[in-house]
Amino acid sequence: MNRGDKILVTENLSVGYKSHGRAAPVMEHIGLSARQGELVALIGRNGSGKSTLLRTVVSLQAPLAGRVIIKGRPADSINSAEMPVLISFTSTEPFPRHNIRVREVVALGRFPHTNWVGTLTDTDLKAVEEALEVTGLLPLADRNIDNISDGERQRTLIARSLAQDTDILVMDEPTAFLDLPSRFSIVSLLRKLTREKGKCVIYSTHDLDTAVNEADSIWLMDGITIGQGAPEDLVLNKSLEKAFESPLLTFSQSDGTFSFLRPGAGEIALEATGICRKLTAKALKRCGYRINPDAGLKIIAETSGTGNLWRITGGASEESFRTIYDLVNHLPDEPTE
Amino acid sequence: MRMAGRTHISVTLTFIILGLMLALLFVLDIMIGSTRLEASDVFRSLFGQGTEHGEIIVMQFRLPKAVTALIAGAAMSVSGLLMQTLFRNPLAGPDVLGVSSGAGLGVALMILTLSPVFEFSSLNPLHGWSLIIAACAGAGAVMVIIMAVSARVRDIMTVLIIGILLASAISSVVSLLQYFSNESMLKTYVIWTMGNLGNLSPVQVRVLLAASSAGMLMAFMQVKPLNALLMGETFSRSVGVNMKRTRIALFASASILAGSVTAFCGPLAFIGIAVPHITRLLFSTSDHKVLVPGVIITGATVVLLSDIVSALPGGGQIIPVNTVTSLIGIPVVLWIIAGKSMMGRKI
Repeated sequence: MNRGDKILVTENLSVGYKSHGRAAPVMEHIGLSARQGELVALIGRNGSGKSTLLRTVVSLQAPLAGRVIIKGRPADSINSAEMPVLISFTSTEPFPRHNIRVREVVALGRFPHTNWVGTLTDTDLKAVEEALEVTGLLPLADRNIDNISDGERQRTLIARSLAQDTDILVMDEPTAFLDLPSRFSIVSLLRKLTREKGKCVIYSTHDLDTAVNEADSIWLMDGITIGQGAPEDLVLNKSLEKAFESPLLTFSQSDGTFSFLRPGAGEIALEATGICRKLTAKALKRCGYRINPDAGLKIIAETSGTGNLWRITGGASEESFRTIYDLVNHLPDEPTE
Repeated sequence: MRMAGRTHISVTLTFIILGLMLALLFVLDIMIGSTRLEASDVFRSLFGQGTEHGEIIVMQFRLPKAVTALIAGAAMSVSGLLMQTLFRNPLAGPDVLGVSSGAGLGVALMILTLSPVFEFSSLNPLHGWSLIIAACAGAGAVMVIIMAVSARVRDIMTVLIIGILLASAISSVVSLLQYFSNESMLKTYVIWTMGNLGNLSPVQVRVLLAASSAGMLMAFMQVKPLNALLMGETFSRSVGVNMKRTRIALFASASILAGSVTAFCGPLAFIGIAVPHITRLLFSTSDHKVLVPGVIITGATVVLLSDIVSALPGGGQIIPVNTVTSLIGIPVVLWIIAGKSMMGRKI
């Protein structure tokens, strides 16, 4: 698939702050790129400088060195009136307290296109309605933003960004503070914008799972370096594992996900099929068991018309259980070898 | 922002109703005063056909007073609206940020220290031009301090707290000045602090009108950035708002409005904080294209009403207008703090 040209490139970029005339770089020599129609997830640990990088990319903050190139033009040659037509930015700023409706918030995205009092022309109104439709907000358009959910509020910001009608959309943590379904729906909305509207969407997130599953490309911040690649590349070359290395976590290369590392309780054999096997294995893993067909302790699950039955054999005594919960509670803490 | 049809109609309707109310109160304000005048005499006087006695009262006193109430209410309210949006704080206003206090300090310095030198007390010092300049300089000085602080301190709450501290410090200085001043100067100053809409000559009304119009025009020019500021500074900058220029324009406009009104009428308490909230409630919008004209008409209405209430005791007795505006404003402020608009959120 040819996703189009590199629409945003950073060249030897250093980001950070200047305090008392001295530069305090957060990250240096950043060379990244994003293409048109691409969903890019920026991931990294807390305090790794994700916001600083994004703010520098959208020119809200000056680079300490190097440059950002947008559509082939250096960012410092683009004036402040033209920049908001090329690139939009959504941060985690708190919402206003006063009466303001969803449609009014989205209409503010038209700011760079309207006259000095902000009169909305027919083109502007059309762009607003379209943004509301794509984000699924039409039914909520006249609601006060105080009366919608966090996920819907985040959608409103995405719609605002969309109404701004830029080719590049940069978002700082659009999925923060959202529950799992809302996180998924936000990321799939972002993906939809890249596929249906050809937008380049760059967003920072802590949600590794969705990023690995949905993003076309990941910008991975790892301490002082930053790498880029398809999620699968970063799993294969172990940079994802390295970036989030922790004695508490274990990384599964095949899934590209992290999970808690359990103290080993021992090995156990499992005889079961289908979904019953999967779920039983998951519960056993949670208790710290490794599945090994040759282990002395064995669990046999049987599915019959009346329900499931789990039997433990090879232990001190043979017992049967009707639920996984009961089974797990009867497993010996210290396995009998 | 253009709005959906129904909303647009209700906004227009609210403007019409408020306009009618304003006109009614304006007429009522001219009718009522410490001296009894027949309604017919008042009307004839307005068109130069009344009795000599009536014409003096209407043209020299009541009309300037009503017009002053109109301008003062409008100007203070716009000033408060600008500050609330700029600081993204529902409790911001000329009183809170110390701007009114700054204007008051200018006036206090004028009345309490310079009057012996210029022998103001023999005349009426409140007619002095020097007073206007002193008040605007005081308001402007506080604005410059607040502006300098806000350039250094990113947190808008800190700026607000510094404003409150500044107001306290200024009131201490004023207390000190009061302690060392003589009885007649003190009385003049205390009367000024009660707020008075009726001490302006027609010429001064014109000056107040000119200064306030300039301030309001500046506010009108900023409606677009003001709307962007609702979504925060980062958003505003990301859509191309020049924050430095916008901040200067808003601060200048707010201090001209608050300073000139305070100089002429004394501190008009709580109008700046309360009226923007009443207006948002009436129009149920945050769009500054509606809000700026909205607070002008609502503020004018509220102060006219306060002025009428202050003259209600009759028999030559007048309650200080500042007392009336406080009685109207304080419940609104309490409602903001205790009401649902604040629940679960940081003030």
